[in-house]
Amino acid sequence: MTQYLLKRLFWMVPLLVGISLISFLIMHLAPGDITTTEAGFNPKASEESRQKLRKIYHLDEPLIVQYGLWLKRMGTLDFGESFAAHQRPVLWQTKDKPGSPGMIQEALPITLLINILGLVLILATALPLGLISAVYQNRPPDRAITVFVFIGFAVPGFWLALILMYWLGVTHNWLPISGIHSLGYETMTWPAQWLDIGRHLVIPVFISTLGGLAGISLFVRNGMLDVLHQDYITTARAKGLSEPTVVYRHALRNALLPLITLLGLSIPGLIGGSVIAESLFAIPGMGKLFYDAVLMRDFPVIMGILTIGAALTMIGNLLADLAYAWADPRVRRGVAG
Amino acid sequence: MMRTLTNPLARWGFGIIAVVVLMALFAPWIAPYDPDDIDVKAILLSPDAAHWMGTDGLGRDVYSRMLFGARISLLVGFVAVGIATFIGVILGAVAGFYRGWVDIVIMRLVDVMLAIPTFFLILAVIAFLTPSIWNIMIVIGLTSWMGVTRLVRAEFLSLREREFVLSAQTLGATNARLIFMHLLPNSLTPIIVSTVLGIASAVLVESGLSFLGLGVQAPQASWGNILTDGKEYIQFAWWLSLYPGMAILLTVLGYNLLGEGLRDALDPRNTGARD
Repeated sequence: MTQYLLKRLFWMVPLLVGISLISFLIMHLAPGDITTTEAGFNPKASEESRQKLRKIYHLDEPLIVQYGLWLKRMGTLDFGESFAAHQRPVLWQTKDKPGSPGMIQEALPITLLINILGLVLILATALPLGLISAVYQNRPPDRAITVFVFIGFAVPGFWLALILMYWLGVTHNWLPISGIHSLGYETMTWPAQWLDIGRHLVIPVFISTLGGLAGISLFVRNGMLDVLHQDYITTARAKGLSEPTVVYRHALRNALLPLITLLGLSIPGLIGGSVIAESLFAIPGMGKLFYDAVLMRDFPVIMGILTIGAALTMIGNLLADLAYAWADPRVRRGVAG
Repeated sequence: MMRTLTNPLARWGFGIIAVVVLMALFAPWIAPYDPDDIDVKAILLSPDAAHWMGTDGLGRDVYSRMLFGARISLLVGFVAVGIATFIGVILGAVAGFYRGWVDIVIMRLVDVMLAIPTFFLILAVIAFLTPSIWNIMIVIGLTSWMGVTRLVRAEFLSLREREFVLSAQTLGATNARLIFMHLLPNSLTPIIVSTVLGIASAVLVESGLSFLGLGVQAPQASWGNILTDGKEYIQFAWWLSLYPGMAILLTVLGYNLLGEGLRDALDPRNTGARD
């Protein structure tokens, strides 16, 4: 297991180098450099402040030196300060600016909360749906679930969000439609505070759930069908085991293994998908932070989120691989032996 | 190919896509109004005989804008996926055929691209370029080739060991001949399926970008930016939100049905009777 872990960690090094190269490439896509108005930089900024920025980001150095410096800043997780937003630190609070917490530091927990709730709900719904679909293959329950899956794939999340926002928020006024706190949040007792946040997150979490539900339930269905046709299932049935024992104890456990990898792989999609929902509902998470940064060409924030997003994805994949190795002895032994 | 048309999924998908393509192609002739024609006397009219899908905040006919918007959705889908498939087939073929260090480098590149959340990557690139329909297509294409690469590589790796390829090689076929005459034609089915499914997701991405105001720019109509108007006027004009959303849903559904239907119909494992 240790050897497996070391090998996986070793493979992360070229990945990190690749991510640094791609983010560096994106920085230099802009015509001219990032402090020119062509790149959307604030045209009112003085020549003096422009020079200062060029100095901070070493824009006058040769490209190779700039890349070296970028690597160093990535390595030390130093993403600098935002161009906007009172020049708050991008990642986390620094000692020289005690009053202003980092932008990612504030936004990340919110996005994680929404996505983790979403993932739990996805699993709680997709598992039974996929299971029913597989057990009743090509019969009415399977057909109904398949129709649902196809529609789930095709519904534009932002459109559904818009409709729910109008229907539940505006017409019926059941749920708040903006932000994550109500007015007067600070004066509430803590159960009321939790309830308040919960009410604000109902629609965004629902949208996030529906986005991943179709894919995962289809995956569970196909995985179950594959496993149900294996020889050891026939053997289990031939032994006279009851159908529930065969399905739940023999088939399901094996069909669930690949799901671990899929969940790891779905992390970038979930983080990326948070942009539209968060900007629609004005939820101050990573997606909204990124969207605002893109609109204002707030380049240190863009680079910071790109890198942190990629790092989170890699950590997610690593955890998924480790969980897989832990759950499936074949993977573990295949590597160790 | 005949089997494809007997597959009910593929038939439905093909039907939906055919209708959307025809409407897009003939938009200038069937649109009742000029899609950019502003009419201040007809602002936010609800659907009636004169304006089937109502009018928007500038008095433009929504039905006409939907027809022209269909052109954008289809164009972005085709071109973006064309770019992605082109890159993916070449990289996947090279990696699967030559193996060794070329394969390692290409697959690491795939891993890197998959590690960065795609929507963030697209937005970051667009932040530094001017949003235009061409830039959108190129950016979506350049950020969505990884799936095809993996697919083609896997096909090539397994086909390369098959007897017909080995015998062609023994008879002195050049690498180019092996790749283009033997391996590629035998990998076409999964490539076609992933292309069709890829168009569906490109349509969703484009409409999302346009909805955020970072995609197709006004006054050019796209389903995504009609929905942006829909958001502004949602309390007064439901038709601005309903129709473009339904259009996106149906188009994406059509491509997905067609793709899955093709997969079922062309997969040799499905030729026998279904159990």
